[in-house]
Amino acid sequence: MSEISHPSSSETIRFEYVPRPGLFKLTAINLLLNIITLTIYRFWAKTNVRKHIWSCVHLNGEPLEYTGKGIELFKGALMVFGLFILPYVLLTQGLQFALGEGNAGVVGLQSLFAVLIYVLWGFAVYKARKYQLSRTLWRGIRGTLVGSAMTYSLTFFGSILAKGFSLGWATPVMNTVLQEQIIGDMRFGDAAFKFKGRAGPLYPTYALCWLLSVGVVIGGFVFFSVEIYNWFGPELTATLDRVFHVENQPPPTKADYWNVWSIVGVLVAALISFMLLIPMLWAIYTAKEMRTFANYTRFDGAQFKLNATTGGIIWLTLVNLLLLVFTLGIAWPFIVQRNIRFLIDRLSLEGAIDIDRIQQSMAALPTRGEGLADAFDIGGW
Amino acid sequence: MAVNAIYFDGQTARDRTVSVQEDGVNITFSGDETPVMVWTISGLHAVDPPSPGQPYRLTHVDKPGARLIIRDESFISLLVARSSHLKGGYSKRDISHVFGWIIGGLAVVAALGYIAVALLPERVAQVMPESWRNRVGKQMEMSLVENARACHSPAGDAALGAMIGALAEGSPDLPPISVHVYDIPILNAFAVSGGNIILTRQLVETADAPDEVAGVLAHEIGHVFHRHPEAQLVRMKGVQILASVFTGSNGGDTLTSIASVAALLQYSRKAESEADAYARETLTKASIDPVGLKHFFEKIVKLEGESKKSSGTLTVLGNLFDTHPGTAERMKEIMPLPPGVMPQPSLTDEQWKALKSICG
Repeated sequence: MSEISHPSSSETIRFEYVPRPGLFKLTAINLLLNIITLTIYRFWAKTNVRKHIWSCVHLNGEPLEYTGKGIELFKGALMVFGLFILPYVLLTQGLQFALGEGNAGVVGLQSLFAVLIYVLWGFAVYKARKYQLSRTLWRGIRGTLVGSAMTYSLTFFGSILAKGFSLGWATPVMNTVLQEQIIGDMRFGDAAFKFKGRAGPLYPTYALCWLLSVGVVIGGFVFFSVEIYNWFGPELTATLDRVFHVENQPPPTKADYWNVWSIVGVLVAALISFMLLIPMLWAIYTAKEMRTFANYTRFDGAQFKLNATTGGIIWLTLVNLLLLVFTLGIAWPFIVQRNIRFLIDRLSLEGAIDIDRIQQSMAALPTRGEGLADAFDIGGW
Repeated sequence: MAVNAIYFDGQTARDRTVSVQEDGVNITFSGDETPVMVWTISGLHAVDPPSPGQPYRLTHVDKPGARLIIRDESFISLLVARSSHLKGGYSKRDISHVFGWIIGGLAVVAALGYIAVALLPERVAQVMPESWRNRVGKQMEMSLVENARACHSPAGDAALGAMIGALAEGSPDLPPISVHVYDIPILNAFAVSGGNIILTRQLVETADAPDEVAGVLAHEIGHVFHRHPEAQLVRMKGVQILASVFTGSNGGDTLTSIASVAALLQYSRKAESEADAYARETLTKASIDPVGLKHFFEKIVKLEGESKKSSGTLTVLGNLFDTHPGTAERMKEIMPLPPGVMPQPSLTDEQWKALKSICG
């Protein structure tokens, strides 16, 4: 066999994002066809965007290739809607009609379905990842996940419960467990990814973010309570009584309305700034987790490094958010590009890999893709 | 001409340098570690359209994992000139495939939409059990009148009963109904599921003669008879379900809600003319002058500007005075009683007074 005579040549891997023109045109065409086809085209739109962006990701000068087809996503979505969503909607709507809204049976069924969604969420994540890996080609070799989606799904469901009951404190442990499962199942051809590491080093950062968030919420609450009290003094309850027409109170004056609306305005502004500030705080943890998880990940003896910073994540998310809002979501291909580029620009693999030795994956190719993930609107690309 | 290329065989990640030739039908390549390979040009597929300065990536139908990467520009243009499908991108066949699926999908949605809007609702409404109709009707009535006061007085209630009795004269198949007057400051009447009919205080007070209220009531009984509210309810649910399943959202889409309102309005017009026909027939059979209804319509047309307060949900619930074009035509269809038929009063003067003052 010629493989044996080939000299073993280990190489280091360089990641590079090489943008190509055409994404803007693709976005415009997608928008147009989405409108004409009442959004059915979205599966092909998603596929074309992936083809474009994958081909911009170069590893040692050789681009990735996305070989998925729109029809595979379309069939996946049809399956899920036909076997899952439609029967459920018909059943609950029919029962609601027959038994009345708020009937215990209907509410029970709806809660059961809500739980089922959480149980299946990890399944959808895993299957979508598996589909994407199986459609990603580099040097003619494709990736895959070799484990069980159901096992991952149960861990995922367990992690939701654990995070909830621990007020979030189980997050580093559970995320590490989940990452270990999915990365441990990941293959490129016959070569395996490995994930090994403890959650412990994540805890100081987690504690910092947790305490800061709680501090900001409590501090904000106290601050605004004191400010509002200082503004009105003992007049507060009387003003509210007048404005809300409590009996035996004189009618509210213009000043009363003005005062109450000012409070509402201040509170809304405060809420919005909390909604921005708290995720920003958590970017500290996200960055730490991304760097740590990359360090824990090895491929064929080489170790990943991801130079993700808090500022970088905040900037990425903020600009994505603005893009999304100001283009009414039309610019989503650029958001996908920004996300992938963020990773590729900061990713490196330290150590040499014997690329030539890697054999094609023998795993069967899934024929449909991402039905559940589409139904649940699971983000990503 | 022979040029160098890189070959990935789809079995290993190793890159092999090969020398490629073409003869118009096949491309042939081989290298130190690659035995001679022959690929038909017709079976070639370009991964990406050729673009200047970029390597050109080819694969073959028989070797889906294999990739041949050519950098020589003149060889690329030679190949592309051989067969236009090597320009890459979508071929006509691909495009017709995609649109075949999409048009098929749209056709299925259209068929389901037709079933949900046109075929099912009236049938479901006819077989819906009494208890469902009543319960849903109570819910609809509650949400329609919100916190408005229900008007009752012993004499007023008796007068309403007498009016229903007068309408039932000559129509033994009159459906069972229950009529309530509510203190609502709009001029309207509604039929909801389960034979529940709502008259507003303003309607009762605006009417100048009992025959006008009787005409309106006959129209609403027409809705009850045809089970329009039930059918409309099923129709609304169906459109909602379809919209949510179709767009993969919860149906909050503007596009789908516009489409569904349009579909529902279409049917509400048909329902109005069916109810009008029922009213004309019932009034004539009961020897109550249908001109009362006509007078009331005329009044409405005059007041139309002010009474246009009904909201979106109300317009689909058997709303009597939809301000769509056609009110004039609806009025024209109302004929007086045939000559020789003595008009019967729908209420005595005393009963009429009692009904007028039912809300105090």
